[in-house]
Order: sequence, then C-alpha cells, then structure tokens
Amino acid sequence: MDRLLLILSTLAFASAVVLALVSLKAGKWKESRWHWVPMAVGLALQSAFLYLRGQQHGRCPLTNLFEVFIFIGWAIVLLYFLVGTTYRLSLLGVFTAPMIALLQGLSLISSLDQTVPRPRTVPNPWLETHAAVSLIAYAAFAMACVTGIMYLVQARMLKRHNIHGLFYQLPPIHELAKAIQKLTLTGSILLSAGLAASIPLDIPISNPKLIFAWTVWGMYLVVNVVMWRHLLSARQTAWLAVVAFIVPLVSVGLVTKA
Amino acid sequence: MSSGPRIACLGINHRTTPVELRERLAFAEAKVPDANRQVQSLPGFRESVIISTCNRVEIYAAHESSDAHAALIDYLVQHFQLAPDQAEALVCYKLDADEAARHLFRVVSGLDSMVLGETEIFGQVKQAYKVALESGTTSRELNKLFQRAFSGGKLVREKTAIQRGSTSVGSVAVDLAGKIFDLKACRVMLIGAGEMARTCAQSLLSRGAKSIIVSNRSHDRAIELAAEFKGTAMKFDEWEHALHEVDIVISSTSAPHFVVKPELVQKVMRQRRGHPLFLIDIAVPRDIDPAVNDLEDVYVYDIDALSAIAEDGRRERERQIALCEQLIEEQLVKFGITQPL
Repeated sequence: MDRLLLILSTLAFASAVVLALVSLKAGKWKESRWHWVPMAVGLALQSAFLYLRGQQHGRCPLTNLFEVFIFIGWAIVLLYFLVGTTYRLSLLGVFTAPMIALLQGLSLISSLDQTVPRPRTVPNPWLETHAAVSLIAYAAFAMACVTGIMYLVQARMLKRHNIHGLFYQLPPIHELAKAIQKLTLTGSILLSAGLAASIPLDIPISNPKLIFAWTVWGMYLVVNVVMWRHLLSARQTAWLAVVAFIVPLVSVGLVTKA
Repeated sequence: MSSGPRIACLGINHRTTPVELRERLAFAEAKVPDANRQVQSLPGFRESVIISTCNRVEIYAAHESSDAHAALIDYLVQHFQLAPDQAEALVCYKLDADEAARHLFRVVSGLDSMVLGETEIFGQVKQAYKVALESGTTSRELNKLFQRAFSGGKLVREKTAIQRGSTSVGSVAVDLAGKIFDLKACRVMLIGAGEMARTCAQSLLSRGAKSIIVSNRSHDRAIELAAEFKGTAMKFDEWEHALHEVDIVISSTSAPHFVVKPELVQKVMRQRRGHPLFLIDIAVPRDIDPAVNDLEDVYVYDIDALSAIAEDGRRERERQIALCEQLIEEQLVKFGITQPL
C-alpha cells in the first residue's frame, strides 16, 4: 500500500513536468494557475507514504537510504511551496518536479528499500529531531542548488543574447540570486538546529555520521560567508550553490550506510 | 439574416490614411459621447460606438439605413469640416455585418495594430465601448457584438503567443533590464544624447527606473535632457567616476573609438560587489568594447543584438497570425455571426 502511494506520487510529479513543459512550449507558464495542483497532490501522497512508514516503524521513517531519499524529496516539495510563494519563483516547479520524479522513480526501481526488522522501541525525540531537521536542511541546500541552476541558465542566455521562450518564463536573475542566498542561509540555520539536537545524545565525537554532518555544516558556513560578503561574482556564487550540494548529497549516502 | 438593424463599420487606420489626415480626424476624448449621440441620431441609425486612437478612427453602427457608409462619411466630413480635397483623399474601409464583426475581433486581438499583438488596443476599445454605453448609444446589437469581441480577443491572447516577446528596441531593452534587476531600484546613466538612447531611457523610466544621470559632450544638452527626465546632468569627463553607482548604461556618443573599455568596467565591477551591470550600446560605431561582455556579471547589448531580438519577437508574433485568425473564425461561428464552412 505504501509503495503504491509513492508510485502515485511519482506519477503526480511526472505529470507536473509534462504540464510545465506544455505550458512553457505555449509560452503561457505564468498564466497557468493550475501548475501547483500536481505538485500538491504529489506532496499529499508523499506525506501519506511517510505517515504509513512512520506507523510501521513506530518512529520517523528514516531507516534506510530509500526512506531518506523520499524524506528529502518530501522536504524539497514542502520548501517549494514555501519558497515558491515567498519569492514568486513558481517556475522553480519546472526544475523541482523532474528532480523529485527522478529521485522517487529511481528509488522505487532500486533495491534500496530493504528494511531490517528492528524491535519497536520508544523513539528518542532528540534523535528524531536531529535526523528530520538535518534532512530538511539538506532539502534547502538542494533547493539552493536547483535555484543556482536556474540562475546559470538565465545568465547564460543573457550573456549569449539567446533570448527565447524559456528566457521570458524564468525569473529575473536578481530574484534568483537573492533566493540562493536565503535558501543557503535557511539550510545552514536548520542544520545548526539539527546538530544542536544531537548534543544531548552524547554521540562520541569520532562517530562518522557526526563528522560528516559537521563537515557539511562547516562547509556551508564558509559558503554563507562567501555569499553574504560578495566575495565572488553572482554567477560564481550560483556555481558555488550547485557544486556545494555534492557534499551533502554524498554525505547522505555515506551516513546512511555507516 | 434577421430583418432588424444591421451592423456597419467605417474606419481609417495607419494603413489606409497618413498621420496628417488621421490626426485631423481624431475625436477629442471629451467630445466622443456627443459624437456617438450625433451618429445615433443620423436617419436610420440606432446605435453607435466610436473608437478613436492615434492609429485608428472607427465608427461601428447598428442601422436600418440604405447607405450607412455614405452617411457616415458625410458625417465625418461635416464634423471635421474637411476641405473638398481632404474629403476626396479620405480612404476608408467600409464593412458590413460579418465583415465588420470579424474586423472588430481582429482589432481587439491586436491583429490590426501597427505593432502586431500589442495589448493597449484591447483597453482602448473597451474604453470606447464603455463611453458609448454610458452615453446611451448602444443597445442590443452593438452590446452583443462588443461583448463577444472582448471574449474572442481575450481567448486569442490566452491561447496564442501573439503577445509574447518584445518587438521594438526600447521594449527589448526594458525586458532585458527587468530580467537582470528590480527596475524600481535601478539607476540609469545616459552617455550621449542620441534619439534612440533617449527613447530607451524614457522606456526604462516609464517602467519605474529610480533615477537617471545624463552625460553628454554638450553639457547644455545634458542639462536639457536631465531636466526632461527629472534626472541629474553630469559633465562628460566625469561619468567614469559615477559608473559604479548605476545599474544600466545607455551609450550613444558619436565617438569614433570605444568609450567604455574592459579595464574601466573591471575596476567598476570590483566596486559593485557582485551586482550586475547592463550596458546598452546604441552607437554606430560602437561605444562599448565587445570584450566587456566577457567580464563576470556584465551584460552588453549593442544595437544589432537588440534589433535582432526585436525582429525575432515580430517574427514570432507573425507566426501566430494564422492560429489567431482560426480562433477568430471559430468564435464568429460559435456566436452565430458567421456560418460554419
């Protein structure tokens, strides 16, 4: 049942991609009022999947890489709705929907969903908070990465005088630059909160999971300083948001396996 | 066909009539309600809507007259007191019934405009109809026709890309600037005072650009232009020092060499701390070294690049004409104005 919900959710995101491409082709993305509907349906189905998994495990459903990916995907869509509204970057959906559809599609056909049965124990709220908030922070970094890609696409079209349909549909680069900065900062604040929640857990400092998490935190601290002090050009800052996301992406895999 | 009043349209536009005669025949805004009533009171006339813009004057009427077009021409000649030679030179289009309806649908869709697909005409026709409605010169026939034309025009604009892109150098510059900055926070610098640069600056200011600095070899001319734009005039040997403070530069000097060079812009960009710079080069020969475009966060567009984008915009709109016409025909059939083929 839970996997069926996820398949339906993936189909909803795939339909969002199709809808977006059709609207873009017709040059009517901005006029379309309904592009958020498949995204909202996808989010609802994702939430239902995570709820059922949570019920099965008796804790936050982050027991394997498959569930971690789905949780990150869920957090990305959640942020899409929050950030999309705030910065009026509704076209972010064009870039978000294929990413989620791909992430969930690949997760579904992979053999990642192998839960080792564990005895039901009373969940530790600090551990749950640490894991969930850290993953939402990673989702914010993923959104900064997607926004960075949009910036680079738009800036390239401007630089090369390649002004066509997509150019008119993409948000202005100054809005994208602001969104990159704010998403990176949001991710860093959330990750700080997630790491703070790990302090009462008394995890040894040599624990690889903690080392990875602090490495990501430290790296994004540097990224934030670079961004807010404008040490790089706007285009280089966008590249930084894209490339920096490789570290949390890799660390999720390593942490889950560790 | 019904035996009730018939629809007629008499008009002139930018294609049929030179501007000298068009401006002679333009109805003053305040006089349109009276003019509507005068047309309505012509023998055999029941309803009237007058559309008067800079590019067209059209009278739509519901009538039972035997020669409505001749009556309307006589009315125009008398109303504007045209001399016999002017009356003779008056070339109008005379449309009846479904041809008049089709024409109105095309007008509100922007297909009959000088700038294909422009949006302003929709509002202008709506306003003309509102004035007629409030003057009591419309009734069943014209109310039905205009309301259907508005629905049709809206549909055409929604279902096609007839409004997409920019079609003039000024609007391209504004669109590009809007994709780089928040225009309301933008500061503009005009180097040189060419006519096209002036038009570009005017477009940017009308879309909300915050302020403008004008620098020209003739300082008097700079002061004159700055006063026109409510901006600041700057001596020509000083503009380089203010370059880091502005977001958009429009250059149109008559210098035979590059005025804006990479070394200068590189220095300026260090001061701008990651804020982009948009340089518009209207001059021929060019004022801005093309190598400036290779610098980070700097976007340079010369007159050829802007014209090419405007031309693309026009072509894109022209490609939409057939689809627009098809939609209009479908709407005319749907509303029972014409019969399906």
